[in-house]
Amino acid sequence: MKRASLGEFEEVVLLTVAVLEVQGQAYGVAITHEIIEETGRSVRLNQIHAALQRLEDKGMVKSEMGEPTAERGGRRKRLFTVTAYGRRTLQEIQDVRASLWTRLVSPFKLSTSL
Amino acid sequence: MKSAPNPPRWADRMLNVICPPDRLEEVQGDLHEEFAYQIERIGERRARWRYIWDVLGFVKSPPVARRHGAYSTTNLMNPTMLQNYLKIAFRNLVKNKTFSGVNILGLALGMACSLLIMLWVQDELSIDAFHANKQQLYRIYMREYFSGKVQGVIWTPGPLADELKKSIPEIQLSTPYEWVSDQTFSVGSKVNKQATNAASADFFKMFSYKLLQGTAEAALKDRNSLAISRSMAESFFGSPEAAIGKTIRFDNRKDLLITAVFENIAKNSTLTFDCLRNWDEFVEDNGWAKGWDSTDPLTFFMIRPDADPAKVEAKIKHLLDKFNRDGNKPVHTELAMQPFHEYYLNSNFKNAQIDGGRIEYVRLFTMVAVFILLIACINFMNLATARSGKRAKEVGVRKVVGAMRSLLIGQFVGEAMLLTVFSIFLAILFVALLLPSFNSLTDKQIGLPVNDLSFWGILAGLTLLTGLLAGSYPAFFLSALNPIRVLKGAMKVDTKSTWLRQGLVVFQFALSIILIVGMIIIYRQVEYVQTKNLGYDRENLVYFPLEGDLVKNYDVLKEQISQISSIKHVSHMTASPASNGSGTEGITWTGSDPNGKVRFTPVGVGYDFVKTMNLSVADGRDFSKAYPTDSTGFLINEAALKVIGYKNPIGKIINWGNGKGAIIGVLKDFHFQSLHTSIRPLIAYLSTDSRRQGGNVIVRIEGGKTKEALAKLEALCKKMNPKFPFTYSFTDQEYARQYQSEQVVSKLSNYFAFLAIFISCLGLFGLATFTAEQRTKEIGVRKVLGASVSSIVGLLSQDFLKLVAIAILVASPIAWWAMNQWLQGFAYKIDIEWWMFVVAGILSVAIALLTVSFQSIKAALMNPVKSLRAE
Repeated sequence: MKRASLGEFEEVVLLTVAVLEVQGQAYGVAITHEIIEETGRSVRLNQIHAALQRLEDKGMVKSEMGEPTAERGGRRKRLFTVTAYGRRTLQEIQDVRASLWTRLVSPFKLSTSL
Repeated sequence: MKSAPNPPRWADRMLNVICPPDRLEEVQGDLHEEFAYQIERIGERRARWRYIWDVLGFVKSPPVARRHGAYSTTNLMNPTMLQNYLKIAFRNLVKNKTFSGVNILGLALGMACSLLIMLWVQDELSIDAFHANKQQLYRIYMREYFSGKVQGVIWTPGPLADELKKSIPEIQLSTPYEWVSDQTFSVGSKVNKQATNAASADFFKMFSYKLLQGTAEAALKDRNSLAISRSMAESFFGSPEAAIGKTIRFDNRKDLLITAVFENIAKNSTLTFDCLRNWDEFVEDNGWAKGWDSTDPLTFFMIRPDADPAKVEAKIKHLLDKFNRDGNKPVHTELAMQPFHEYYLNSNFKNAQIDGGRIEYVRLFTMVAVFILLIACINFMNLATARSGKRAKEVGVRKVVGAMRSLLIGQFVGEAMLLTVFSIFLAILFVALLLPSFNSLTDKQIGLPVNDLSFWGILAGLTLLTGLLAGSYPAFFLSALNPIRVLKGAMKVDTKSTWLRQGLVVFQFALSIILIVGMIIIYRQVEYVQTKNLGYDRENLVYFPLEGDLVKNYDVLKEQISQISSIKHVSHMTASPASNGSGTEGITWTGSDPNGKVRFTPVGVGYDFVKTMNLSVADGRDFSKAYPTDSTGFLINEAALKVIGYKNPIGKIINWGNGKGAIIGVLKDFHFQSLHTSIRPLIAYLSTDSRRQGGNVIVRIEGGKTKEALAKLEALCKKMNPKFPFTYSFTDQEYARQYQSEQVVSKLSNYFAFLAIFISCLGLFGLATFTAEQRTKEIGVRKVLGASVSSIVGLLSQDFLKLVAIAILVASPIAWWAMNQWLQGFAYKIDIEWWMFVVAGILSVAIALLTVSFQSIKAALMNPVKSLRAE
């Protein structure tokens, strides 16, 4: 694995963006809720915002302002999309893990050996 | 369409401050959307908290601007800059240990003192404030008009309470309230003295004393009922539950039924007692309380919630006019009322109007607290401005780089705040350490109210106030510096700030000197009170209650006591020697003003009274067994003679109610009350078998034989009066007890004066250090040119001594005026003499000199070679 890649939390955020961008729902609140649901962690909005900012600085995501909606008091959302570099990074991480899993001599059994 | 609830506005504003403008829209949008979502999920109230929590998350780690360097936030909230400010502040603190130490210690002492006083004031104000009906509770006082004068009296006629309820519809409840006295109670063989009082059936309905057993309705309803305290119940019966409904023997004469048990009375109540008798039952024993001419109990009443106090006051004003207060003509007495919870702090009269009392001490101490805090703040100001040269460069650089003046002011005020925060922690520590001794001194039970939010509010407020007070002037002063001049080089100390500094030092010392003078005068007055010749001899004078079987066997008792070798004289009187507050107005004589009333203090005495008290007889003689007619005779004091005005008083007749008698002797005035009041007219009658009520046996013991005499007295009383415990009092101790509050004030004033001068000197020490530092080179040059050490010390000290001298001149008249005011509270007082000011002056000069010379000598002893090496 190369250095200066992703932190574990950043990886989760980036994955979530990748999942949500299809419906055009990859923005702060939606990402937060999604992560809370998927991982059960108690995440705060500011952590997500900071992580997205870091990902953008690293070039993993890009963003643009969406259309104004009434529910946010007429404020626009910032919608994120994963860049090609971001996708490749996620893919690489996945590959490294897969190869490590295949090298396990005896995969864990989810049973109790008596 | 219903508008959706909005999140807290202030949280939004906070976001505006911390968020770079180009991130605001998305962040706030997300937050609002989240808020709307959370309302659906957990309800609005919790969603609001949640929102604040979320915003705080952004405060903790603020969003970064999207384009770097696009926006620099120029406010104090900017974390990077804050860090820098803090760093600079800490470095300055650590670098100048003397200055920081002086400031922190001074401020901490000042704040500790203020905190203590605040706690004390809070406690004073809380007294009697716990009654649920306090808005409707009042106490009666009277204005008596006699011979062109008017006087305020708090004692009222016994039947007044009932009459108020009968004749004034707005008055819902009322009760007389007697004076607390120690009475003997027994259950089986258990005998004890208890502080006893009497009140009407309404008492527990009016006042919020917690009843553990029984109801407020029934507590004192019946004539033979008695309400007792938890501790009394426990000592006689083991528990409140066991006590209720039982009988208890009172004074070995009557059985009373316990109808209520109340929780022990806390310190925050002015009315304290172990038990309350029913008023009617009290009147059975004390027939005089039926009469309108008696003035003994206090009277309290409660108006209906909707009644207008002003109207009630108008109605009661002339209530007494219809009653014959002495059998043949109305007395001109007006009634007035005062809210019950105010009377603890406002109990003094001036021209029969309520005017001051303990509230004056509350005000005085509050002022002292402010002064001491101010002195500490002045230290900070002086040192900060004096050292402005050291910070000038920093200010210059900051300004050149583009700091606005408001930011600089914020920075320096913030530094002062930081220092104050350190100080307040130290102050809390001081207070925690000092509270026990402070409590024992002031006889209070004050604790640090750490669970009380308002206390922390007060702390925060005090910190803010002190920080602002101390920091604002230096902040303005420093931020106004001209950057160009500063950075070019030499910073001249401008004369304006020097003037101001000197002014402040004068102010500090003036305050300290006022406190020192106050200390001296209060101390002298208290000493005067303790040592004044009272007209009788209060040393070795013991008295014990005449009660139980002793009353009828008094003559035998007197005989027996006379045979004890260590006892010189014995007599008895109906009051106690040091305080006799009763009064009568039924006394007339030939030529007395028919419309004027004079309050005489009556006292019944036994044979040998004059001898035992060691009084001087001005004219006539003491009561004597040789003259049977003495049984109707009177002794009066000089004050009474002045009122009566007879030229040759002996043998002249005085009428008292319907009886009459001749004056057989005139006593030289003596103080039978505290020195706060002038000596009233006294009339003494012979209290023999037929007229003897209780009172006290007074015994003059030979010096140095107290122990032996008391042991014999006790054995005798146990034999003659087995049903009663033997209790006795020393007259000198009882006398001293009347000046408890003066004693406390005296001690406190010592501490405050010491503290004030100490903090002032801390500041002076700081300033002296600073000038010595500044003039190092000058001193070096002077030394090289042959100046002696002493001349240099003189040179450095004289500046400061001048200031102290001015302070003495400023402080003296103010101190004289203030202390004169305080002394007005005493009918008998010391004179303020010039030497007191001299002592205070010399003291302050000496202390200042000591402080300054320490630094001056250090500076003068420096090796000039070292200090001049740089050039």
